[in-house]
Amino acid sequence: MSEEVFTLKQPEKDERLLEQLSALTRHHRERSPEYDRILLASGQAQDSYASVYDLPWLPVRMFKNHHLKSIPDDEIVKVLTSSGTTGDVSRIYLDRDAAAAQTRMLSRTLQTVLGPKRLPMLIVDSRGVVADRRSFSARGAGMLGLMNFGRDHVWVLDENGEPDVEVLKQFLAKHGDQPFLIFGFTFMVWLYLYEAARDAGLDLSNGILIHSGGWKKLIDRAVDNAEFRRRLAEDIGLTKIHNFYGMVEQIGTIYLEGPDGGGLYCPDFADVIIRDPETWEVAPIGTPGLIEVTSTLPTSYPGHVLLTEDLGVVHGVDDGAWPGKRFSVLGRLPRAEARGCSDTFTGGDR
Amino acid sequence: MKIEVRFPAGPQAEIDDVIAGVTAEPEGGRLVPGDPRVVDFLTALARRLLAPSIARRHPELGSLGFFLRKTEIRKTLEHLRREGDDALVFPRGLVFHVPPANVDTIFVYSWALSALAGNPNIIRISSRAAGAALTILETLNECLADAHPAIGQTQRMITYGHQDEVTAALSAACDLRVIWGGDRTVRDIRRHPLAPHARDVTFPDRSSYAAISLAGWQATDAEGRKRAAEGLVNDVYWFDQAACSSPMAIYLVGDAGQAPAVKEELLSLVAQGARAQGFAVDAAMAVEKRVSTYGLAAEGRATALDLADNTVTGVTLTSPDAVPHDWLGAGVFPFTTVGSLAEIAPLITRKDQTFSHFGFTRDELIAFAHQLGGRGVDRIVPFGQALNFAGVWDGYDLIREFGRLVTVTA
Repeated sequence: MSEEVFTLKQPEKDERLLEQLSALTRHHRERSPEYDRILLASGQAQDSYASVYDLPWLPVRMFKNHHLKSIPDDEIVKVLTSSGTTGDVSRIYLDRDAAAAQTRMLSRTLQTVLGPKRLPMLIVDSRGVVADRRSFSARGAGMLGLMNFGRDHVWVLDENGEPDVEVLKQFLAKHGDQPFLIFGFTFMVWLYLYEAARDAGLDLSNGILIHSGGWKKLIDRAVDNAEFRRRLAEDIGLTKIHNFYGMVEQIGTIYLEGPDGGGLYCPDFADVIIRDPETWEVAPIGTPGLIEVTSTLPTSYPGHVLLTEDLGVVHGVDDGAWPGKRFSVLGRLPRAEARGCSDTFTGGDR
Repeated sequence: MKIEVRFPAGPQAEIDDVIAGVTAEPEGGRLVPGDPRVVDFLTALARRLLAPSIARRHPELGSLGFFLRKTEIRKTLEHLRREGDDALVFPRGLVFHVPPANVDTIFVYSWALSALAGNPNIIRISSRAAGAALTILETLNECLADAHPAIGQTQRMITYGHQDEVTAALSAACDLRVIWGGDRTVRDIRRHPLAPHARDVTFPDRSSYAAISLAGWQATDAEGRKRAAEGLVNDVYWFDQAACSSPMAIYLVGDAGQAPAVKEELLSLVAQGARAQGFAVDAAMAVEKRVSTYGLAAEGRATALDLADNTVTGVTLTSPDAVPHDWLGAGVFPFTTVGSLAEIAPLITRKDQTFSHFGFTRDELIAFAHQLGGRGVDRIVPFGQALNFAGVWDGYDLIREFGRLVTVTA
């Protein structure tokens, strides 16, 4: 059996996903009364669908306000939580199978660009982010997940959050002549790794960078994905760069930037659908809308078809470095706020 | 403790100086209830707010202008003077107002009534004040040029940030503290002690509902139904259905068999009305409504969701017990059916404020108020008037709260 996960052209993928996701919809309806009630109330009486585009989606924020799961309590082996910007926490329940599947599929996805062996790993963060396991952030949790894909981990930042150029030099002296893995959040890679390496004249040409986290903090520096890739290649020799997009509510599924930088690609077991938030119809190629994510991995909670609050655009289908849809994430939908009477911002405006 | 002075617009000031300034005797002597200097100022303000250029931009300032017209002020003052009572009315003293950040006009109502009663006032304006609030501040400052100097001397609108000391100083100095903005704000401000003789007027979190008589609806012609829906559109969509007076759910009262047809017709009229008045919800709000209404379904509180149009979200609740008490987003219409108003009374709590109605007789509504017997609901108003501010609010007769009584027995 092939381990490759970027293989399916769109027509074949649509066909497979329709069958698998329809089955998952039935599976979750039978096991999650909450999910079934949502579908019934929204007029989804049927249990078969003509197209993947017809499958009912749940807003991703449902997992912050409700305990949605399709497994009995005694089969829960892991509860994943993510803190959002508003302080609500998503709760994602995994049983043994779901937990194993997410690790396996994440691994296969990353092996596409990392190869089968664990590589020496440079982490653009400070050790503190995962030090206290009771209190670590979503950032720390993401970090721990990715650390399994590397060895001989070295943290680029010291305890004060400053880049430690000596540590960087030592790492390169030891591992710099063979492939190595670099992981970090996009803005930290730019602020701490790129600038420090450039100023010290370091060569990172054997590095494979995996990064995520969005461009919001880099916008005022006029850095977008193209500029990021260009400068990293020109100034520090880093050309193997893969941005990725993913969320705890679809743990194990990541959308990975192709080697050409032409967009994010969907692994065979997952896909994105861009929806017009006015009509909820599928947006044409090139037209931005809300990102719906589908994945066959969520078997223990009804998270197989989710509407995110991220805006994105599909650039093309079956026309890039890897098959399937090629897309970008454009930013986040602002959270709707009540402008009610219950709001004086006491004790100073927050 | 420097604070920003928004009215009369001026340089930063020390809070102690501001307090000393407004409580000192102004030119022409201390203000009295119905003081002509205040009345002149408010009527000049009303004229400016009612000018087409402003009313077009901010329709809510039109309502405010109306409230401050000379005839309205006269009625308010007659009410304050308690004709026929033995008591004499005097100003209460320094009043400190903490209005909500997001309902732009409340601070003017709160302040104007207190000024009419003759009080010096300090109003805390949010630093996030925008839109209509800024227009009002601008207009207030413009009016000052022709106003008696006593107005500028006794009235202040200020902005300050994370400075508990300022709130503490104002709380200690004032004779009456008016706290809008809900439970959290009331609790937060109450950490600061008042002088022993002083007290609070508080406006905690409230929720509001609407009711339609199914028989009354049937008896209304097409034009009347359309107007009712337009009124409901106003009540719901202004302030994104998040004001304390915005109806959060609709009781259909009468023969349950008629309910589905009335609901469908109403929602379709509401959709037309919302479109005609230019109300629409953005993508973020559309998602918000999906999250909240899917939540009702997940919890078994809703059996059907009508999501065809982002602007109007219909919800069929499982029972009257499932009526929501939390904000669900702008343009959510949860329906439940009951046989009579009397069946609603036991569901009403102290927190409930406004009850908007359509199709009932006056006698039915008065009987309902008696059935409630004060357990909740402060206002019973027709569709379209839920958000109209009135001098009696949340059970307080505001202008009288702002006065102090002195009895003279000869």
